[in-house]
Amino acid sequence: MFVPCGDSVPDLAGHTLLMPAVSVGNVGQLAIDLIISTLNMHKIGYFYTDCLVPMVGNNPYATAEENSTELCINAEVYSLPSKKLVALQLRSIFIKYKSKPFCEKLLSWVKSSNCAKVIVLSSSHSYHRNDLQLRSTPFRYLLTPIVPKSVQNRIQSLNWEEMEKSPCIPEIDDSEFCIRIPGGGITKTLYDEGCSKEIPVVVLLKFVSEGDNIPDALGLVEYLNEWLQIIKPCCDDPTASALQWKMPSSWRLLFGSGLPPALF
Amino acid sequence: MNSGAWEEVGCAKLWNEWCRTTDTTHLSPAKSFCMFYHLKSNPSVVLCQCNCYVAEDQQYQWLEKVFGSCPKKNMQVMILTCRHVTDYKTSESTSSLHSPFLKALKTQNFKEPPCCPLLEQPNIVHDLPAAVLSYCQVWKIPAVLYLCYTDVMKLDLITVEAFRPILSSRSLKGLVKNIPQSTEILKKLMTTNEIQSNIYT
Repeated sequence: MFVPCGDSVPDLAGHTLLMPAVSVGNVGQLAIDLIISTLNMHKIGYFYTDCLVPMVGNNPYATAEENSTELCINAEVYSLPSKKLVALQLRSIFIKYKSKPFCEKLLSWVKSSNCAKVIVLSSSHSYHRNDLQLRSTPFRYLLTPIVPKSVQNRIQSLNWEEMEKSPCIPEIDDSEFCIRIPGGGITKTLYDEGCSKEIPVVVLLKFVSEGDNIPDALGLVEYLNEWLQIIKPCCDDPTASALQWKMPSSWRLLFGSGLPPALF
Repeated sequence: MNSGAWEEVGCAKLWNEWCRTTDTTHLSPAKSFCMFYHLKSNPSVVLCQCNCYVAEDQQYQWLEKVFGSCPKKNMQVMILTCRHVTDYKTSESTSSLHSPFLKALKTQNFKEPPCCPLLEQPNIVHDLPAAVLSYCQVWKIPAVLYLCYTDVMKLDLITVEAFRPILSSRSLKGLVKNIPQSTEILKKLMTTNEIQSNIYT
């Protein structure tokens, strides 16, 4: 359930909710971190749930001593009222059998808050790509039928690739085709629930492999930015625009502590 | 607990694969209970001794059962726990750290200065201590977690001594007597307990 930080419940009507799926390479979560950190979004509440493994730590977006001591938990909601943007960050994995209940609770909150749409940032295993996908861009999108025509038209004008259907059961020759997102965590569930409950859900994903996924996260936020224009691209050079995204201080030591000198 | 008279007021029973007993109907307190005591002279002071591992899919229910029955007004919570020093992330090598050492995390409403430095990013805490602290942060209860990073797998006197600074905190000062003699008392209280460790030990 959503619990506000302050005394009153913020009005999220007409806002766009950005959220990650906990997926391969944690790309969605890294992308949301970049968005919250770059836009300096402030925390408006918690999504308190029994569906995620509990964790706590100090402010992952701290920029100075003064703001480094704010406690953060596993699911928090941040907002940027000037752009009618709300971001939900998920920092831990789902407890067994709780991913579907979470999706139901989340989308029920989205509906009751009258959010305009939900954008899910996600990823899928790159080794599952077919030959055509291997030769094309690694980015894909998916829209639930209720997504407004204006959004559909805008995305089509960007010449993006829609996520292709693949055989539901690959081993069977005449298997039906359906959307499959291997390694995507709750992405498929959110998309299916969005379809059945008539909630505008846009999925943006990238085909990735596990490893140093920071470049993948930067790629995904740039992909999102092509459409939403959250930050103005400074010029046409893609490498320069990547520098506009601010990496949070918590991204230090992603691959562990310093090495013991005795190792060498 | 040696400093006052404590009376047992309840327990939380649970079982999971980490419990040392396979007999689920006759759980012995030492193996799979969380025992609750209150101070006879001041029943508003409650102590919980967690002798078992509370699994991730039991933590939410544990919190609801324990905190659900407490009045939250004017409540303050202090959590003490240990982790192995290899869990601590730092730009230096962990072999150069002087363990055991104490770190703290506190909720927004906890206004007292903590007795040790705060846990720096990118370090995080999991398990029941994280579940309790999350609950307190969300429901605006003042709470502090003191986390001791130690390099031993079994509890020893040096590790327990690392918690000494908290005995002089505003919350605990009134509860603990004879601080200079606490070392002697700690030696008597030492029992063999294993610090939460990985499944290979």
